[in-house]
Amino acid sequence: MQAFQTGQKSPLSHLTTSNLLTISARVTGPAAEYDLSLFGLDASGKLSDDRYLVFFNQPATPERAVQMQSGARGEKVFTIDLQRLPQTIRRLSLTATVDDGTFGQIDHAEITVSADGRPVASYRVTGRDFQQERAVMLFDVYFKDLWRVGAVGQGFNGGLEALVRHYGGEVADRPGPTPPRPAPNAAPTPPRPSPSPPPAPATPPAPPINLKKITLDKKGESTRISLKKPGHAEPIRVNLNWDRGGKRSGMFGRITAAADLDLGCMFVLNDGQRGVIQALGNSFGSERLLPHILLDKDDRTGAALDGENLTIFRPDLIHTVLVFTCIYEGTNDFTQVGARLSLKDPQGNEIAVHLSNPDIQRTFCGIALIENIGGEIKVTKEERYFVGAQQCDEHYGFGFRWVAGSK
Amino acid sequence: MAVSLSKGGNVSLSKEAPGLTAVKVGLGWDPRVTDGTEFDLDGSVFLLNDAGKVRSDADFVFYNNKTSADGSVTHGGDNRSGQGDGDDETVDVNLAGVPADVQRVAFGVTIHDADARKQSFGQVSNAFIRVTNAADGKEIARYDLSEDYSTETAMIFGELYRNGADWKFKAIGQGYAGGLAALAGNFGVNV
Repeated sequence: MQAFQTGQKSPLSHLTTSNLLTISARVTGPAAEYDLSLFGLDASGKLSDDRYLVFFNQPATPERAVQMQSGARGEKVFTIDLQRLPQTIRRLSLTATVDDGTFGQIDHAEITVSADGRPVASYRVTGRDFQQERAVMLFDVYFKDLWRVGAVGQGFNGGLEALVRHYGGEVADRPGPTPPRPAPNAAPTPPRPSPSPPPAPATPPAPPINLKKITLDKKGESTRISLKKPGHAEPIRVNLNWDRGGKRSGMFGRITAAADLDLGCMFVLNDGQRGVIQALGNSFGSERLLPHILLDKDDRTGAALDGENLTIFRPDLIHTVLVFTCIYEGTNDFTQVGARLSLKDPQGNEIAVHLSNPDIQRTFCGIALIENIGGEIKVTKEERYFVGAQQCDEHYGFGFRWVAGSK
Repeated sequence: MAVSLSKGGNVSLSKEAPGLTAVKVGLGWDPRVTDGTEFDLDGSVFLLNDAGKVRSDADFVFYNNKTSADGSVTHGGDNRSGQGDGDDETVDVNLAGVPADVQRVAFGVTIHDADARKQSFGQVSNAFIRVTNAADGKEIARYDLSEDYSTETAMIFGELYRNGADWKFKAIGQGYAGGLAALAGNFGVNV
């Protein structure tokens, strides 16, 4: 294994012949949190397609050539398949950012590049390598004639926003109390087959990247639930409810068929087990057995006063859970049936979402992402609308196989 | 059409630009875009005999000695930040005036105060050396070094050398640790 120094570069082939890399990274220091992100940049070093920024709000690229997972003690693990990356992406830049503090204050940051299950390169910096930086570029994997790697170790005092600007991205203004909706054109398009045809021209101006963690906490600040004390793994409860049947359509219109909405979740447990909890296919889960996630019933009509309830009994066992809701039949408009969802964490924080799909095609909504990050649960409001489960899965990178089903 | 060289490559300047008598050698790099101490890169020139050494300290042309003793090599001055497009530092070489016992003219770039600032070439983007015809400003040869350096603090970017009656240019890309002092010492300059 080669220990890189700041500025050191090497052809990747000197380290490994594999195109599959794993980069694990961790920053240790006094701040509550250090965020690690991987920027997928074009040949001119710009983030021309912001679906290739892998970070806390977007843990995978559309074709999942880059995926981010959380390891122990704040570690992030990026898995990279260079062959599956579109040819428009020529540089992957691993960065770290901090909100409350500087990199001059860190104890150290450490990354390890592995291939074929063994470490091939490492890079370590300490607080003495920095001053007032709040965002640092740590390590690059880039293509120039051939794939290369380089230890960068430079940063920006202006934090993640300065970093994104450096990469040519736009930064959304810090949102106010209402979390912004994803722009209608932000929905991912299906992945291009890879290897892709000649580099596509620069994509149209990307919507500004929202760097704010959209929290479920009413106060808009802390979204974290510490699980560090044993026995404190209290359930997270999700409720979906809606009004029975649709409205009359016009004076003489009939009441439309009863609307059937579904609540469910895609999950990955810390032990690697993954699956989907949903009424479709009678995958209701279990309270007492793995995955300790239970859907209480399939309310076919909205008649049940308490709607459908999904409970995550053991948040300490999960890696990532995406809570979703979708329209099974009876309407194509969440607002028409007054669809509303609430999610409560053990600390009593609650999020209420009044569902409102942007068009009648997109009737599948990723509501909230629940992640176990080093023993803390982070809940992020998503409310992203998709045409179906598969498109949603592609966005989040769970990697399920989807087949048509009915009930 | 300028010749683009990779490390170790060479080109005959006399062939590329018949009638060439003087060249301007441009050295360039991008300014630092990140926060922290600026990279201050310095170009320097060594007039070397056939043993690869300077004949005297006067053959070492740099920011404190801008012209060689014979006047054939003139340093255009120090650029402290790499700001601006194109060449950051230039060196004029009157090929016809280079003393006959100078076989090679080597162009080095060093990072000022690199150790204290914890800087190395690996952090510098888009470094290049190019040779233009002083008569018409046309580029004859260019060498982009950016993948040929790593943690070095001093680099020989390229050199002009005699080949019979002709002058050739070679892309060197050889790095040294220890900055300008190490580089100058390597060529026999008393520092």
